[in-house]
Amino acid sequence: MADGLREFLERVFVRGQNPFVNNYAINRLRPPGAVDERRFMGLCIRCNRCLEVCPYGSIKRAGVGPPMGTPYVFPEQKACYLCMACCRLCPTGALDAHLRNPEKAVMGKAKIDPSICYSHLFLDRDKVPQGAKQKIGALCNTCYNVCPLQDKAITLKGNLFPVVLDGCVGCGICTERCPTRPRRAINVIPSGMGRVDEAGFYFGKARRHHDSAVSRAEKPSSGALKGEELLDRKYKIDGSRDASDFQFPYETSDQIEGWD
Amino acid sequence: MYRRYRRASQIAVFALMFAVPVLNLYEIYAITGTFYAINIGGLGIADPVVILQAMFAAGELTVPLLSAAIFPVLLALLLGRVWCGWMCPYHLLSDVACAARLAAATRILKKAEPASPAVKRSFSANMWRFGFLLVGTAAAGAIGIPVLNYLSAPGITSTEAMIFVKERTFSLEIGFIAVLLCLEFTLIPRFWCRFFCPTGAFLSLFRSSFTLRIVSETKNPAVPCCKESPCLSACPMGLQPYREGGNLLCTNCARCIDACPHQRLKFDGFLTARPR
Ligand code: SF4
Ligand code: SF4
Ligand code: SF4
Ligand code: SF4
Repeated sequence: MADGLREFLERVFVRGQNPFVNNYAINRLRPPGAVDERRFMGLCIRCNRCLEVCPYGSIKRAGVGPPMGTPYVFPEQKACYLCMACCRLCPTGALDAHLRNPEKAVMGKAKIDPSICYSHLFLDRDKVPQGAKQKIGALCNTCYNVCPLQDKAITLKGNLFPVVLDGCVGCGICTERCPTRPRRAINVIPSGMGRVDEAGFYFGKARRHHDSAVSRAEKPSSGALKGEELLDRKYKIDGSRDASDFQFPYETSDQIEGWD
Repeated sequence: MYRRYRRASQIAVFALMFAVPVLNLYEIYAITGTFYAINIGGLGIADPVVILQAMFAAGELTVPLLSAAIFPVLLALLLGRVWCGWMCPYHLLSDVACAARLAAATRILKKAEPASPAVKRSFSANMWRFGFLLVGTAAAGAIGIPVLNYLSAPGITSTEAMIFVKERTFSLEIGFIAVLLCLEFTLIPRFWCRFFCPTGAFLSLFRSSFTLRIVSETKNPAVPCCKESPCLSACPMGLQPYREGGNLLCTNCARCIDACPHQRLKFDGFLTARPR
């Protein structure tokens, strides 16, 4: 909490960032042709014309919060089918009116989580997903099959499992169709989210977690030991120097009958 | 006599608000948009206040932005605040709320005229409006978001209509309209249009000598020219039409012209400014 507050104040007052215009989250995408988030939040006048014309009903309005009323695509519900109808109609240039080619859209990039992707699980013999009794998996590859930019945006490595390529525009159709639940194995990370200075508080949170994990790992441990560290320490215990030579408390004989 | 035309115009615009998304459902895209920004057969028209804010918030001035604001500004230069008096969907709702207020007062409270604690002086009303517009625009520039859009009564009303047609729901912002209407019904009739609405405030800035306005033939503008002075209670903006016809608040709604028993008020401006 205090860390978050300090982060917030530092971002606003030291680095001069605007806390209201970074509204990134995974699977929260601006329509294709959207300019970068900071300009978008200024230029979009919430007229919802894009939402009105989308023939697939892909665009939703953002709810309470700074982006209230601005358009979003939630690919888990409905992906963007890249018809490019919305860009042409935006009155302010928040969506690039000249963008016609769907392959030039930059909504985001899909990312596969191999720990739940059925294809990856199927190929990885030893992996039993959390909560499952036995190994599951299938050569699903739905994402590859539904992608409108097949082989440019996503390909099947060795004809076996999907890999996202640079051509991915982030339409989210793969996310919409991915069969894994509750989480999808393929999700779209909106463009801009990866840039440290643009990504705002979402990135801030991720970085804080990362930093604290690193510092925890580096910190010399104090007090009780646990897990592998404890085992390690135990293995290393060597009392040989402190102990005097061992003596049997009774007479020994080298010749015991029957032993040899 | 103007009343009928004004109602027809208001209702037509109100119906348009629902018709546009219905047409779009049938993939007819001749008209698209809401009253934040609408596109009629290729002519882009946007609420000039949202354009102003977008300019400040994004810090840029582009051709599409400017061209969208031209038409409303020209309309205001020619005809004054006709958007407010004759078209705005919120104004129609507010008309209904105020008529209900009047009916409630006469039927239930048995009073001839509901007492309104409204500020009667147009100067302070104008200062409120322009102050609000200024603060809102400055805030939009400061935080990089067109904040006044969250408070645009006509824009929200038409967006809600569109959402209702498309998705059969309303979004949270309809609460704002409901609160405004409740306040107008109970406390201060027309308070939004008179004291706050940024759209109305911005449109009234474009008033010149040839803009359509109300003129009065009264001899002494210091006092009402007739005893009953029905124009006073007719004016929704709380003006004194017999002397303030050209005020920035006036919406050219012509209620006062209709109300005057002596036909002393009439429209003037570019219509009559030509040499006769
Ligand atoms: S059409 Fe443009 S300005 Fe209007 S809501 Fe969509 S992105 Fe925003
Ligand atoms: S490109 Fe087409 S499908 Fe995608 S969001 Fe725009 S209108 Fe909808
Ligand atoms: S002042 Fe605003 S809400 Fe009122 S009628 Fe004019 S545009 Fe509509
Ligand atoms: S002065 Fe007349 S035209 Fe202007 S707002 Fe009042 S009633 Fe309407």
